[in-house]
Amino acid sequence: MARKFLTVIVQLLIALVTIPAVALATMSFENRNNDGPSIIFPGGELVSGELYLGPEPDWSFTDDVGTVHLQLDDPLSSRLIWIEESDGKIYITSDYMGTWLGRRWKKWAVQAYEGDGLAVVRINGVRYERKLERVFYSPLLDGVIEKKIAKYRSRITREAIESGETWVFELAPRTGV
Amino acid sequence: MKTKTYLALLISISLLVSLAILFIPGLAESIETWMLGFLSRNAAA
Repeated sequence: MARKFLTVIVQLLIALVTIPAVALATMSFENRNNDGPSIIFPGGELVSGELYLGPEPDWSFTDDVGTVHLQLDDPLSSRLIWIEESDGKIYITSDYMGTWLGRRWKKWAVQAYEGDGLAVVRINGVRYERKLERVFYSPLLDGVIEKKIAKYRSRITREAIESGETWVFELAPRTGV
Repeated sequence: MKTKTYLALLISISLLVSLAILFIPGLAESIETWMLGFLSRNAAA
């Protein structure tokens, strides 16, 4: 009797893990080619929205933007990400990069750093072609840190950046590409 | 329930869930919205 009861409990537990896991995997699969990410799942190529072709914009408007869509050209996948403007330039950051699990989770950052870094960022429905350039040591980092703390109440520190725990990328213009 | 029957049932339900998410319009968005609501309620608690 006790054994039978235990079997039912184990079967229920397995079902409670398996069915939601299958649902999440399916949702992730379904979203992989969408025009942009959902809040949780990465999407595909950013297709909609005007492609900005003018001179370098005044990025200070991004102070009022919570998240942007970031798409790498290789591989063609997109995700939702925070953005910080500092000293006329825009930056994105990736935390938890000091661990294997973090680098698996934030695979896009590794791909951008090891690849060509070519990307498209969609802000308020407008697409901007950019190049992700990792910033290691720069006096400009102080502004990025201050902005991220003020905007997102982040715990980012210069030590975290310099130790490789947090990766900072400038969304630089694609000059000469 | 015998293991064989249980596994068949589990696979069938999982398949049904997958197909429902793939083919019922708006279902994936509804589940995601519910998940986010659930997470934010519990994170705030």
